[in-house]
Amino acid sequence: MFKYKSSKDTGAKSWIYQRISGIALVVFAIGHYILMHFQPEAGKTYEAVFARMQFSWYRIIDLTFVTLALYHGLNGIWGIFRDYDLKSGTKITIISALILFGLAFLFWAYYIVFSIPYGKPMP
Amino acid sequence: MAEKINPKIKTFNQKEWVKTNLSYQKDPGSWAWILHRISGIALIAYLFLHIWSISPLVQGKAAFEQKMATYSGTLFSFVEWFLFAFVLFHALNGVRIIIVDWADGAKYHKQLYLYTWVIGILLFLAMGLIMFSHIF
Repeated sequence: MFKYKSSKDTGAKSWIYQRISGIALVVFAIGHYILMHFQPEAGKTYEAVFARMQFSWYRIIDLTFVTLALYHGLNGIWGIFRDYDLKSGTKITIISALILFGLAFLFWAYYIVFSIPYGKPMP
Repeated sequence: MAEKINPKIKTFNQKEWVKTNLSYQKDPGSWAWILHRISGIALIAYLFLHIWSISPLVQGKAAFEQKMATYSGTLFSFVEWFLFAFVLFHALNGVRIIIVDWADGAKYHKQLYLYTWVIGILLFLAMGLIMFSHIF
């Protein structure tokens, strides 16, 4: 069906987004590791997570981190598939599956972060 | 639109791609490429696991702490430590790729690959020291 219709997309945008998100992820990952591993008690307990989530800017950082990581990761997986000479139908199936899988996990992550209440912790 | 295929040029055999890939001569760039892929796939798989593993936050403190208790312990710390090795390689090699793409960075790609390993091993050992100082 799509045999003679190739995309006009050269992949340049995908390439630059992958690099920009990659650099951002390195910065986020450094912060994440300092937070989680220098003092595990201050990073990983429910109280610590709850206390951080009282700041909306921390929620924004967390959600930016997970959004960029999912985008970078799934775009990377797509990049691997792109190395092989796949049929159009296979390409469409793979990219649809990646997008659906990514969106499902992205919304799950958002749901987890927004389920943590402001004010009083859940027992 | 039938293109003439030059019989002298061996086309890539899709069915035997593992064998073909393994038959290529490996220089540092090839290893960097292979390891970048493997670590990338491992990291996205871990990210899905990570979202799943912190999902008990939705149910509150008791459920979260019960789940987190199963993720602590020496064995899991070792797994986390080796996860850091994957993160380190992917991050440092990612920076290497950006430098190689930049200006005439491609001239230095072999040295940069060596630095990836040197810096990576040093940071890996430092992280081991930090992580296991909380346990032992």
